[in-house]
Amino acid sequence: MKEPGVNKNKLRKWLEEEEEARRIRREMADWEYINKQPPRIREALKYYIETGDIRRASKLAGLEIEEFREILRKARVPVIV
Amino acid sequence: MSVERRFAIADTCFLIDWARYRNRDLLFKIFDVVFVSESVLREIKSETTISWIASKLAENKLALYTETEEELEEARKLVEISRRIPHIPSIDLPEALCLSIGRRRNYVVLTENKGAIMAPEFVEGYRDVVVWRALEVLLAAHLVGEVYVDCNNPLKYFIEYQEDTLHIFSQRDLLEVRHKIERTRCEQK
Repeated sequence: MKEPGVNKNKLRKWLEEEEEARRIRREMADWEYINKQPPRIREALKYYIETGDIRRASKLAGLEIEEFREILRKARVPVIV
Repeated sequence: MSVERRFAIADTCFLIDWARYRNRDLLFKIFDVVFVSESVLREIKSETTISWIASKLAENKLALYTETEEELEEARKLVEISRRIPHIPSIDLPEALCLSIGRRRNYVVLTENKGAIMAPEFVEGYRDVVVWRALEVLLAAHLVGEVYVDCNNPLKYFIEYQEDTLHIFSQRDLLEVRHKIERTRCEQK
C-alpha cells in the first residue's frame, strides 16, 4: 500500500465542495432546536455542521451513529455528500 | 459507469439512509448481492433499518460478510494513511474495511463517508476500487432502465430520496446526472 500523493486540483475541488456543504448545513439547520438540546448533543450538532463528520459527532454526542443521524434529521441538518 | 459488477459491500452511513428510502429495494435491481460486514451490522440499531436488513438477509439479497484478519490489518493501515493526509477527511475502520474488501474482492463499495469516497483518488493502491454513493446507485438504476424515466422530470427519484432521507445531493451532481439520464433515456425517444 503506497503513500498518498495529493493532487492539488482535486484537493481544491474538494475544499470548495466542503465549504459549500458547510454553508448549506448552517443555513438549513433549525438553530432553535439545536440550542434547546443538552450541551453534549448541542455541541455535537455544531461539530457536525462544521465538519460533516458523523462518526466523530456521534461519539461527541455519546450516541450510536444511527441515533445521531436521527437527531440530525430532527435538527434539519442535511447530510451532503 | 459500469453496471457489470453485481456484488457490493455497504457501510453504515449508506445503509442507514438508504433503508429510509421509499424505493430502497431498487438496490437489488443493480446488485445481485450486497454484503454487510459484521462490524457494520453491529452499528445498525434502529427498527426500520434492522428489519429491512433482516428481511433482505432472509431473501439472500443481503449477505453477512465475515472479515478476515488480513482485511482488518489492511483496513487499519488505510486508517493510518488517511490520517497523514492534510485537509482530507480521515477514514475510520468500518469504512476502511469496506474499501479493503472492495479492493480484494472487486466489490463495489457503497458509502456516504467522504474520506472513503475520496480514497481512490488519494491512496494509490485503491485507484481501481469503485466507490458509489446513493447518487450513483440511483443513476445506475436509470441508465440500465430499471426505473421509468419521466423526461419532464428526470430527477424524480433523486428528489424523493432527498425528501425521505434529508440527504442532499449537490446541485453540480444533480445537473450532471440529469444530463446523463436525458442523453441515455430521453434523447432517442
